[in-house]
Amino acid sequence: MTRFRPAYWPALIAILILIAIIAVARGAVSLPIVAVFEALRGRGDPTAVAIVRDLRLPRVVLGALVGAGLGASGAVLQGALRNSLAEPYLLGVSGGAAVGAVLAFSLGGTSEPVITLAAFGGGVAAVFVALAVSRAGGRAARADLRTLLIAGVIVGAFANAAIMVALASAEPNTIRGALWWMMGSAADATWTRVIWLAVSVALAGGALIYRAREVDVLALGEDTAASLGVDAENAGKRAFILAALLAAATVAAAGLIGFVGLVVPHIARGMGLRAHRPLILAAGLIGATLVVAADLAARTVAAPTELPLGAITALLGVPFFLVQLRRLS
Amino acid sequence: MIALQDLVVRYPGAGSNAVDGVSFVSSRGELTALAGPNGSGKSSIVRALLRRAETPSGSVSIDGRDVRSLSYGELAKNIAVVPQREETAFPIRVQDYVALGRYPHLGLWRAPGHEDFQAVDDALSQAGVTELATRDTDALSGGEWQRVRIARALAQRAPALVLDEPTTFLDVAHEMSIFELLFSLARSGLAVLLVSHQLNLVARFADKIVLLDHGRVATSGSPVEVMKAERLEAIYGWPVVVTRDPAVGAPALVPLRRPLQL
Amino acid sequence: MFFRSRLLLSTFLAVAPLVACDKASPRTDVVRDDFGDSVRIGAPPTRIVSLSPATTEILFTLGAGSRVVGRSKYDLWPDSAKLVQSLGNGMQPNVEAVLGVHPDLVLLYASQDNRPAADRLRSVGVNTVAMRQDHIADFRRLVTLLGRILNDSARAQTVIDSVDHTMDRVQTATRGASRPKVFWHIWDAPLITVGSGSFMDELVNIAGATNIYADITKPSGQISLEDVARRDPDFILAGPIGAHAIESDPRWRIVRAAREGKILVVDTGLVARPSVRLGEAALSLAQLLHPGTVR
Repeated sequence: MTRFRPAYWPALIAILILIAIIAVARGAVSLPIVAVFEALRGRGDPTAVAIVRDLRLPRVVLGALVGAGLGASGAVLQGALRNSLAEPYLLGVSGGAAVGAVLAFSLGGTSEPVITLAAFGGGVAAVFVALAVSRAGGRAARADLRTLLIAGVIVGAFANAAIMVALASAEPNTIRGALWWMMGSAADATWTRVIWLAVSVALAGGALIYRAREVDVLALGEDTAASLGVDAENAGKRAFILAALLAAATVAAAGLIGFVGLVVPHIARGMGLRAHRPLILAAGLIGATLVVAADLAARTVAAPTELPLGAITALLGVPFFLVQLRRLS
Repeated sequence: MIALQDLVVRYPGAGSNAVDGVSFVSSRGELTALAGPNGSGKSSIVRALLRRAETPSGSVSIDGRDVRSLSYGELAKNIAVVPQREETAFPIRVQDYVALGRYPHLGLWRAPGHEDFQAVDDALSQAGVTELATRDTDALSGGEWQRVRIARALAQRAPALVLDEPTTFLDVAHEMSIFELLFSLARSGLAVLLVSHQLNLVARFADKIVLLDHGRVATSGSPVEVMKAERLEAIYGWPVVVTRDPAVGAPALVPLRRPLQL
Repeated sequence: MFFRSRLLLSTFLAVAPLVACDKASPRTDVVRDDFGDSVRIGAPPTRIVSLSPATTEILFTLGAGSRVVGRSKYDLWPDSAKLVQSLGNGMQPNVEAVLGVHPDLVLLYASQDNRPAADRLRSVGVNTVAMRQDHIADFRRLVTLLGRILNDSARAQTVIDSVDHTMDRVQTATRGASRPKVFWHIWDAPLITVGSGSFMDELVNIAGATNIYADITKPSGQISLEDVARRDPDFILAGPIGAHAIESDPRWRIVRAAREGKILVVDTGLVARPSVRLGEAALSLAQLLHPGTVR
């Protein structure tokens, strides 16, 4: 197994910064790199300044926050649920958020805060519905965190059905807007949205990092955790709720960006990290880098058409599952 | 040190109590064994000690304090449990795994200090797994993994050690060495409570055997007192003979043959 | 490719008889619509279901409004059209509801969505006509065909001539003026604009301007905000909601036209369909882009 070296930290940070700079420097309007730096400081042609500071920079920051949130969320869930294929969207968060957004679209709300709030509300509601559903399993089942996973899948399935019903009788504009939202995009990044997301990621992510050792213990199994003084049921629920809220915040900000929460923790673990405090941080850095790079690709690969970000990240799934398949055989 | 008083354990939806009023004491300096047929309630008692089972009546106390009055953390500082099965979801290094045994003392944020490192080293050497310290947990044999798990519990430095079937899958050498380890730990002052169905080994090492049958204490006492053929036959439902091997000096249970009528 | 050749074929087949023969044509004729299906032309229909704003407008203008027994919910012009029973969506219509008013002619927009409905209606023997509505030429073909069906080709020709006359007038009036570059904002998320595959692009040209996205050959296309800034339009055309969104979104500042407030609000009801009011539509655009040039 590879050993993580302390030198990897500055390397990860450096890669993230490099990709971010490239992402801010590239776009439909070609700006020389010097002009980009000048624009970042507020100097130079006002259009260039506006492009860099109001369009590209918030988009890159949003992408980084989304990636960090999803990576951290996935890392915690895979540890707490003891399952390397767990990912934030399995908890029903994505389904609930999508239902919230689609409902907002079909009720005619197109203004940005409405959709974002509805999506976040839907995601949060889905989490609590999943918790309630898992309670239906009885005391013994409740203590088993896999019940939470199944409850999340149930909520997700129900959400998919609800979305289909809502879209079946919707107007073409609603369908287009809802589909675009669901395919995930960092295109609607405004500084307001970025700040809301930054606060959510800081709060939820911070809480998860604070409780990271608890996840280390949870990953050993519920009996061992009890032996070490961790109430697996409550600790598991805490981890679940925090990870789900973190994911809900990213979905509200950028739609459904799949596979990041699944793949990034594997990359971090592949670098040799095991303890969850450094694992969550590394997953955050790697996730941020991945999403910023994916957004850059989404903007530039088929210009002037913008591809949906969720489509690019979904491509991650292919090599990932191929590797998993190889491992099995 | 660990005292059960009329403990009742009942699983939700079950028709009867898994543990039906069991009382016994596991004292410091002694190796106490919980034995009995499958389903007699042995593992349920361990779950009750982990507070993972419903105990509608009766009590468990540590040095006189009811466990329900203790927080999870305090409980973990007093009893270290090695459950029947443990599988890590992701492989980690043995020494990091054993070091997690210090969690009850370190909590979420405290950095490990000299005492913690010492506890881990001692645990590794007591369990005889020091040379495995840098290996990954998925690169261990069944026996090595078993001993590493015991090391983790030892790292907790709790005055009581509870183990649920710690020697399944182990060969003779490993099984004997684990029992020797548990015996010497008991002698060094820990209260060791061992759940095992290996009656013969238990008879040679335990100071006290508590024999369970259908959730109740059928009998308890020294191995010689407990290992009586008629009682064992009635409890286990199989004809047995109890001998006393002079080479070993402890009673031994020998099941008789009952060939099938075809 | 497939559709384009079908389109050409059906256009040829639809127009050829009109060109080859004059209006004294045999009583029963077969023509093809834009799905390539045959259209029965015999006695004029008396119960028409019209499932798009364009076809409804044309029917009323041709004096056949009283024969329209069902419309789509978006058909709201002229006012008397509102009195006709709405049968719901024009796209993927409710076939049962349509059959419920016992039509002898159903008019649909020729998009893939409507294929199943067209096939169902045909299978029960209802005369169904599906026509494209992407280009101004499509409008002329549609009016011509409806004129034939209603056995009033002369009136159809009058309508076409009137529309053409207005558009020619606009084109002539704006010929001398400078041609500003225009960005037509259709939708926000994703950002969608008009391509040269749409009559709206033709209207822009007639009104004396250039669509910065004429290089998109489809009727519409999805682009990025930065690309719009790069193409630097002189004006932005948008509906009222779109205009408000542009004005209140700080990111649009990167587009010079938005910064300078050069946002022209269009009446989407008027310009969003290629119909009898095309002339008015061209006129309204020209008045926005070249105020005072055309009356």
